Parts: sequence; structure tokens; C-alpha cells
Amino acid sequence: MNRTVIALAVVLAGAITARAQTQAAPTRVPIVFLELADDARYEPVRAFGRFVLKALDHPYAGAQVGIEDARPLTRASGADHQLERITANSIDDMVVAIIRSNDAGVAWFLLDAPAEAYKAVAAAVKGRDLLLFNVSAPEDWLRRDLCSAEVVHAMPSRAQLMDGLTQFLVSKKWRDYLIFRGPLPQDRETVDAFTRSAKKFGGRIVATRDFTPGTDPREREKNNPALLSAINKDWDVTFVADANFDFAREVSYRTVRPRPVVGAIDLEPVAWHWTWDHNGAPQVNTRFARYSGGRHMDSPDWAAWMAVKMITQSALRAGAVDFKPRRDFILGPGAFDGDKGEAMSVRPWDHQLRQSVILASPLSVVANAPIEGFLHQRDVLDTLGDDDAETPCHLNR
Amino acid sequence: MRRRTTAFHQCSARICLMIAMATATLAWPAIAKDTGLIFVSNEKTNNLVILDPKTLKIVKDLKVSRRPRDMHFNADHSLLYVACGDDDVIDVIDVAKLEVVKKIATGASPETFALDEARHRLYVSNEEGSSLSVIDIDQGITVHEVPTGAEPEGVFVHEDGKSVYVTSEVGDLVHLVDPEAGAVINDVVVGTRPRRFAATPDGKELWVTTEMSGEVWIIDRARFVVAGKIEFLPPGMRKTDVTPVGIAMTRDGRTAFVTLGHAGQLAFVDVASRKVLAYVLVGKRAWGATLTKDEKTLYVANGLGDDITIVDVATRKATQSVPVGRIPWGVVIDE
Repeated sequence: MNRTVIALAVVLAGAITARAQTQAAPTRVPIVFLELADDARYEPVRAFGRFVLKALDHPYAGAQVGIEDARPLTRASGADHQLERITANSIDDMVVAIIRSNDAGVAWFLLDAPAEAYKAVAAAVKGRDLLLFNVSAPEDWLRRDLCSAEVVHAMPSRAQLMDGLTQFLVSKKWRDYLIFRGPLPQDRETVDAFTRSAKKFGGRIVATRDFTPGTDPREREKNNPALLSAINKDWDVTFVADANFDFAREVSYRTVRPRPVVGAIDLEPVAWHWTWDHNGAPQVNTRFARYSGGRHMDSPDWAAWMAVKMITQSALRAGAVDFKPRRDFILGPGAFDGDKGEAMSVRPWDHQLRQSVILASPLSVVANAPIEGFLHQRDVLDTLGDDDAETPCHLNR
Repeated sequence: MRRRTTAFHQCSARICLMIAMATATLAWPAIAKDTGLIFVSNEKTNNLVILDPKTLKIVKDLKVSRRPRDMHFNADHSLLYVACGDDDVIDVIDVAKLEVVKKIATGASPETFALDEARHRLYVSNEEGSSLSVIDIDQGITVHEVPTGAEPEGVFVHEDGKSVYVTSEVGDLVHLVDPEAGAVINDVVVGTRPRRFAATPDGKELWVTTEMSGEVWIIDRARFVVAGKIEFLPPGMRKTDVTPVGIAMTRDGRTAFVTLGHAGQLAFVDVASRKVLAYVLVGKRAWGATLTKDEKTLYVANGLGDDITIVDVATRKATQSVPVGRIPWGVVIDE
């Protein structure tokens, strides 16, 4: 447990008591952005030497834009939201930080943690008056198996992302897929999600080949895209699952047949892309760049921005500063504008935010799923990810 | 052009006097009267295309500053003001010459604006700057830059010039601004992503389109509270495709016209009963809506169709669509 957390908790407790005495002034409402120090997911992806292929960072700048956007709402909502950033050194510290902050009156948290942190966190917060917004973990098991009532997933699940990608491929009549699967557990989960999506929308997996990054000639059957793709069947699209991003960029133009590459590169299903230019997105990207030092807005940044937006909007829409009516609004009828087109709401069964999925090539958004023609009896966004009947998680029953 | 020349030679005594005065003060012949020319701003190609109202042929392709959007004429139509979002200016166009004669600096990314000529003021919503610029037109200087909610858009000036209404798309608010003090003095919460205004001519109501919630919200101006809302859902459309943005109203305040964005439809609304009378198919991502002076025709700018659609008001039918260039934002008519 680090000292900053304790100090913060005391400060927050003081702020909340002081506020009760002055009624006319807006109520200060803290939102804690909680991240893990040395989170491996934000290691910049490098080429040889120092050249950065992907600049990654904690999505705090997204949350900052959300707070800036909410400032003009203070007068109308009566809630003055303030962002507090806590960097925990371990998952245990994270849990302590949440409990202490909640004891001091904090109800709103953005959790920027790898999936493995969630078991301990969910167990510790069960039954407490708080909501934790998952802003960076796409793992399906968090939605299906962990199934925590205190967690809202602003980040899309792998199932949503892969369903969006597959809808697009199927709409193009590109139905036969060759999969290259990396060695990490995330790669296995990604392939499982994609395979499930293919089955759901009528695609076919022609072959799933495991690759091993490297140049070892003895391993060439595993590290050479030409040999990996030398199969006796044709396919339409090569799908690459490579969370490490050390093989994906060597696939295009290196397969035996000229086939587009999707998944980890070339056409990626994402929550957000900096080239998305509809629904007010250019303005969000511009505001984001002011906080990020020019780094492009990424999916977790969007999720953090969106989480703050949901929290701050709930004060406006529920007409309350207190936690419970606002939570009920967020988990209930809440319709949120996430600058991706469709109005978004939270699924009552697993607390996943319904949202469209952007299919981005490096410099352009190719499509925005749900793709036209994929219909649903209730909400077209429920064609993406786990529908009520598709998940073991039923927080609404 | 020919009509203007003719008017110059055959003008009545009164008009000739006006022309002489205008010439004396502005130093160019401000004689662009009722040409009927149709001006369309194209966001992507940094130009206005100007169409002949009879032939609907492009008679002039006028280069302006980058990303032109909202346009307004001054009272005598000698000047046309154009908000140019990517250069942070309002271009001023001499309508007779069809030339940019002046640029007025605004805040970051001006989108729409209102012109209060009597009080020499321009009120500009700056989409990227999250502010409303209060600009002295004569001097071209910013008197106030009023902070607003993010992505301000629609601007409406109260008839007495003492208050200005502005929407914040991200804030879901309509701000009430005191332009003298340069401050927001009150807010009202409306539907999601409020865009643009139309005021009823009796001065009682302000209608605001809310894009994401697919509605028009009605504000009681005297009390500055929400007095109702209208939902739109053309037959066979999904609610999420209905994204109202543009709005126009007849001078008698009986009929309103609302463009429904991605639904590609134009709604006719009976103002008194607040009922939708009809939906008319127009074009892709229909935004700007402009009535002709005789109110017989309505022009709709289809941002993602690169065209404008001409709607016959009496029969409620789209009669023609005309290609105009990339991402048309709005239409104004010199009449």
C-alpha cells in the first residue's frame, strides 16, 4: 500500500464533509483513475533500435478529455467532477486503494488494469456502493465468468470486436479464413473469439496455424508466412492473432497467395481510431491530442473518455449527485453518445457497454459495425458480442 | 449577372439612391439584388458553388478559406459571410463581384454563427475551441470569447440582441449567454447532441434538433425550460438512423422542416400540434435545410451524397437532386 493512496483518502473524506455544509455550490464528486505501475500492456512496440511502431500509454488522457467535456455541465447537474490519478504498484495495492477511496466516499472508478487484476478486485468490492469502469481489458472471461455487478465494461469485449470484424468480412463474401495464431494466452483467446464469430456469421476456418516469431531456419515451418500459408486449400483472408506484434507486420505480401490480412494488423477491429471522422470524432481527437502530447487516441483512451462521460452524464440525466440514482441510470435506460454513431447503453446481463466496432486500416476507417443488414430484434448493437442467451452471466436475473 | 446590370440602368429613384449610398460607403457597387443564385458551401473542397436557380447549372466555383460551413447574407445581400472551420475565419464575400473581400478571425473551427447587423455583432460557435466568439463586425475584433460546453453549434440571437442561445453538442445543453457580459448565465438540458435552432415567429419557442436522441426539443423562451419534444421515426427506419440536424420554419410559424441526417429524410412538422405531417426521402446524411423566400421550395444539403435535393413544399415531393461537390454543408439563396 503506498502512501499517496492513504493521503488521498483523507483529503477526499475532508472534501466530502466540507461540501455538505454549503448547499448552493456544486458538489465535488471525485472519480478515481486507477492504474498499475509498469503495466506491460503499455510497453511501446518497437522496431529495431529505438524506433517506435506503436506509441502506447495509459488512457489517462482520455479521462482528462472527459472531465474537460463535463466542466460546462457543472451548473446544470450540480456535480463538480474531479479526476484523481492513483498508480498502484501491485494488484494488492489496487484493491487497497479502491477500498480506502470507497470508504472515503468515492463511488466512481476507472480501472485501467490487466484482466488478471479483476478477480481480486471484484471479490473485494462485492456489494459496495461503487462502479468500476473497465477501460482497457477486452477479455471475454471477465464478462462471462467473473460476471461482477460492480464492473461496467466500457472497453469492448473480444467477442464484440471479432463479431464486428466478421460481419464485415461476411458482408464482403470473404468467408474462408486462414488463421495465424501467436504463442500468448491472449492470442489463443483472440483466435477462440474469432472462431466463434466465424461460426456465428457463417464463415469457415480453413486452417489454424501456430506461429513462432523468429528467424531460426530449423523453425521455418513456424516462422515463415509463406510456409505457414502453403496449404492445399484456398482461403479469402488471413487472420493474425499476435498480441506481441512481433510477427503480424511480416505477414502482408509474404503469404503464398495474395490475400488481405486482418486482425492484429492491416484491418483491425477497434473501439476507436484517430481517423474516424464522423459523429463529432475529429473534435474528440483534437481535444485528446492536447492532453496526450500528440499521441493518437486509441481504444482504451476512448473507453476512459466514455466512462467519464457516462459518469458525468448520469448526474445530468438522473438529476442527482448521489450514487444510487446515477448507477440506476447508467445500468438502466442510459443512452450515451460515444461519437461512434449509435446511441449506447449497458447490457443488463453482463454490464458490457453496447457499442459499434470500428474496422480500421492504418490510415482510414473502412467500416463501422454493425454492418448494414445484420439485424437484431431488440438493438442492432446486440449483434456484436454476447447476447443474453449466449452468456452464462445474468446479472439481471 | 445580366439581371443586375439591367436593374442598375432601370432602377427607380429610391433604389438608385440606395445604390448610390451603398457605393459611397462601401466603395463598390452593391447591387446584387434578388439574383436568386443558390450558394452551397462544400466542406471538403474549400469552395462555394453557385448555381443558377433556373438551369441549376454551376455558374461559379468560388474558392474560399478551408472548410466553409454556415453562411449568412447581410440585410441588403451585398455581403455573404461564410464560416470556414479549418482556417478559423469568417470569409466575407462581395455578392456582386463574387469575391472574398475580407476575412474575420474567429476562435478555433467556426461552425455556425448568427449575424446581428443592427448591433454590429457576429456570434460564432467555435467547434474546436468550445467557445462562442462575440465579434464586432465593423472592426473585425473579438469582443468576448465565451467558454461553452464542448462542440458548440447552433446560435440564435434574441430579437432584442440582449441574449444569445448556443447549443453544446457534447454537453447536451442549450446555453443562455449574456453577450454584453460575455458569460453563460443559464443552461437547459435537452436531448443528446443538440445541433441547431429555429425560433417560432411569435417569439415564444425555440426549437432545437437533438441529433443522437432523434428528436426536436422545444424550449419555452420566457421561462427558459423545456416545453416539449417531437420524436421522428420514418416508416421502416431504425431509431438509431434518425439523426436530426437541420431545421427551417415558415415565416407564419405553421410548418417546420427537419432534416434527419443518416435517415436521408426530411420531416414536415405542423408547428402548432407538434405532429409530423410527412417524411420525404432526400439524400445521404441530409443536414442543411433552406427555404426560398416564396417558401415554395426547400433545398437540402446532403453531406455524404455530394448533392443537394430540391423539395417542392406544396406537394411534399423531392423533385431533383443536383451534384455540387464534396460534403455540401448548407445552402443560402440570394433573394
